Amino acid sequence: MDEKFDCIIVGAGVAGLAAAMTLARNNMKFLLIEKGEFPGSKNVSGGVLWGSDLAKLVPNYWEEDAGWDRFINHRRLTFMDDQSTFSVDFKSSHFNQTPYTGVVVLRSKFDRWLAEKVEEAIAESDYAMDSFIATNILVEEVLMEDGKAVGIRTGEEKFYADSVIIAEGVNNLLTRQVGLQDSYVPADHMLTGIKEIIRFDQNVLEDRFQLNGRSGMSNEFVGFATDGVEGGGFLYTNKDTLSLGLVLGLKDLREKGKKPYDILNTFKKHPVISDMIQGGEVVEYSAHIVSSGDKRVMPKKLHTHGLVVCGEAANLLMNAGKAIQGMDYAMRSGILAAETIVENKKTDDFSESAMKKYQNRLDDSYVMKDINNFQDAVHLLHDPVMTQKIPNLICDFGRNFFSIKNEPTKKAREMMSDSIKEHASYWELLKLGVKGGKAL
Amino acid sequence: MSHTKTLSLPERLGLVSYRNQAKSEIKPHIIVNTDICNTVCPHKCTTYVCPANCYTMDDKGMVHFQVEDCIECGTCMYACDQGAVDWNFPDPEIGRGVTWNFG
Repeated sequence: MDEKFDCIIVGAGVAGLAAAMTLARNNMKFLLIEKGEFPGSKNVSGGVLWGSDLAKLVPNYWEEDAGWDRFINHRRLTFMDDQSTFSVDFKSSHFNQTPYTGVVVLRSKFDRWLAEKVEEAIAESDYAMDSFIATNILVEEVLMEDGKAVGIRTGEEKFYADSVIIAEGVNNLLTRQVGLQDSYVPADHMLTGIKEIIRFDQNVLEDRFQLNGRSGMSNEFVGFATDGVEGGGFLYTNKDTLSLGLVLGLKDLREKGKKPYDILNTFKKHPVISDMIQGGEVVEYSAHIVSSGDKRVMPKKLHTHGLVVCGEAANLLMNAGKAIQGMDYAMRSGILAAETIVENKKTDDFSESAMKKYQNRLDDSYVMKDINNFQDAVHLLHDPVMTQKIPNLICDFGRNFFSIKNEPTKKAREMMSDSIKEHASYWELLKLGVKGGKAL
Repeated sequence: MSHTKTLSLPERLGLVSYRNQAKSEIKPHIIVNTDICNTVCPHKCTTYVCPANCYTMDDKGMVHFQVEDCIECGTCMYACDQGAVDWNFPDPEIGRGVTWNFG
């Protein structure tokens, strides 16, 4: 193929597909390359796609049965010790309105469906015969000429374009190759995610979690879930399966000498989790690295001459306590990258300064605003006091508070004071309170 | 106390769909210099942090690497701070690697 594309996108995950959809709608000629057998076949996520950007890409997607699994109208944050759980639980019919503010997706299904929507957009574009989604192709190199990205190489074959969007995911080898990220990224701000998909009879699942139609629940866990390792657990209701998993701080895992799948077993055997997953059948085990949301692990910059980086390749992911956000950042960054390229095409300017407009757009969007604003919260969540002592303290208090004995009862304030003495110190809590106050 | 039956790691990996499973000869996508693991590495952490147990330790404490069960998560690339792991994605035609059914 001698022809030159307006853009080559590497990776057909959420970021790459969002970029492709935006390019197709703007009549751009592009090539989207995916290494897996089909889009989604190499992707793993928790996973909830938060926010409503999906409705911009696929209007009225909720009218379709395909693609997504359930919308979230029930949130739960759970503190856990070895026997107990103490949860903050919020459910509201407010979240039943479309566009939904969060949908649970399984990537092998979701990305494949989104790619079909992109194919439809290509078919309606001016380049119906000249834009492609190509699967089963591994991009080995970004071709650079005089400091400008001019295309990609796969095996002996080279493809050329005015611009390249790197949406290769968290294991961002090409981002490193072009020098935007160091060739070795240390474990410090990375977490290993592991997950099981557990299948149920759909009626059993819906009864057990009080799901109605396509409604769903998301539940995050902190404390005993990770057996002393920094990180947390998650449980999401899919259509007829549960996603149950952990994210484990990799540096801490290395120091503590623990195996991720052993910790997952300990989590599953917890009496409360055990009740939730009873009778289910495990149908998939998967793992994937995620970044913590600490800015120190992000690439130095997200653009160079002729090239931009989006999604997890740019380590756009954050857990600031409210939710684990990554796919929505990927989607928005993919859209912004494509919009920048559409604009740059008008003046045929793909220089470093022209590509920097992507970075500016991203900085002005909620993605970088939130990542910048909540750095303290990210650090706080990875503090051992937060991941171990606080959950133990809260569960200890819960056990005392909810125990009714035939003897004089202490005031709640006294009980709390006892639990604090048992599990932490006022000094630690004071520090945490000050940090937390600033962070949130 | 608990009524959960948990799976062993081999049972879990038995649920994974690998590509090119029928091929006897595959090109490994990760190259590990186990000389480094077995001489200078103070922690040999890949033998426990890898979610697919591709890194094992024998009776003599020597580290070995087998690529076949790899699920391409990337953990070893970050966990190894000794420069022993040369990590790449598998070749679609002659590599191994995964195709997720759920993901």
